Amino acid sequence: MQTKRFTPIIAFAALGVAFSVQAHDPKEHMKDAENPNCAAMKDMDHSKMDMKDPVMQAMMKQCIKDMHHNEPEKDQAQN
Amino acid sequence: MPTLTTYIKSLVITAVIALVGGGLFLYSGLYPMGADVPHNRLTYWLLETLRERSVARAASDIKVPGDLNASERLLAGGADYNDMCAGCHLKPGKSESDFTLGLYPAPPNLTLAGDEHGHEHAGATENEDEAIKRQFWIIKHGIKASGMPAWGPGHDDERIWNMVAFLKRLPELSPDQYQILTARGKDPEGHGH
Repeated sequence: MQTKRFTPIIAFAALGVAFSVQAHDPKEHMKDAENPNCAAMKDMDHSKMDMKDPVMQAMMKQCIKDMHHNEPEKDQAQN
Repeated sequence: MPTLTTYIKSLVITAVIALVGGGLFLYSGLYPMGADVPHNRLTYWLLETLRERSVARAASDIKVPGDLNASERLLAGGADYNDMCAGCHLKPGKSESDFTLGLYPAPPNLTLAGDEHGHEHAGATENEDEAIKRQFWIIKHGIKASGMPAWGPGHDDERIWNMVAFLKRLPELSPDQYQILTARGKDPEGHGH
């Protein structure tokens, strides 16, 4: 009899847990995340690239750290 | 001269015979349901027309955001596409996968522009706005019995719009560009997404 009384409570609790499923979070993919291969940008023909193109802007955002890293090396090479 | 009553009786009998015949065919199991046996042309046309007309109607009221060209959307949508979509819909440099070979109907190769990946189907539209709405709707709601899941239950509209933004540019991307745009990796300074 007590089992019958608690069954609806347990059922509702289980439903509550089930409905609280989190949306697919991008952070779930960070463990196996691949780094952008920014070295490939050096081989691209930059004269044909439109710097206002969102694709170009997005690539620059991905590789900004790589570009900053190369700037001190260029300065040293010139000196 | 057949009377109206005779005519109606004939119609009813015809309808009953059609229903019984259809039911017998259904339960006979004769129609092949394996994904490796294509539908006949009539069945394929019927199903495709049904799908495209349904999607076009359902997607007609969707409001397209004005910033689909934003680079942030490309980065966010590209990463999600690579993780969740590329297995079926491919990426630059890849022309097939186990899913493209095994699913029926085969998932469209989204690295190809619309007219290249087989848009000679009912409901094909050269109107870019309609195509965008169609893509959003299909990603959000999926397609019954097709292998295309509904991503809406686990992803809000903004994430889906990000994917649509990426799909607009995907056919133009080289493999190198694709890899850079879709990489989720963070550099030590914390840039990434």
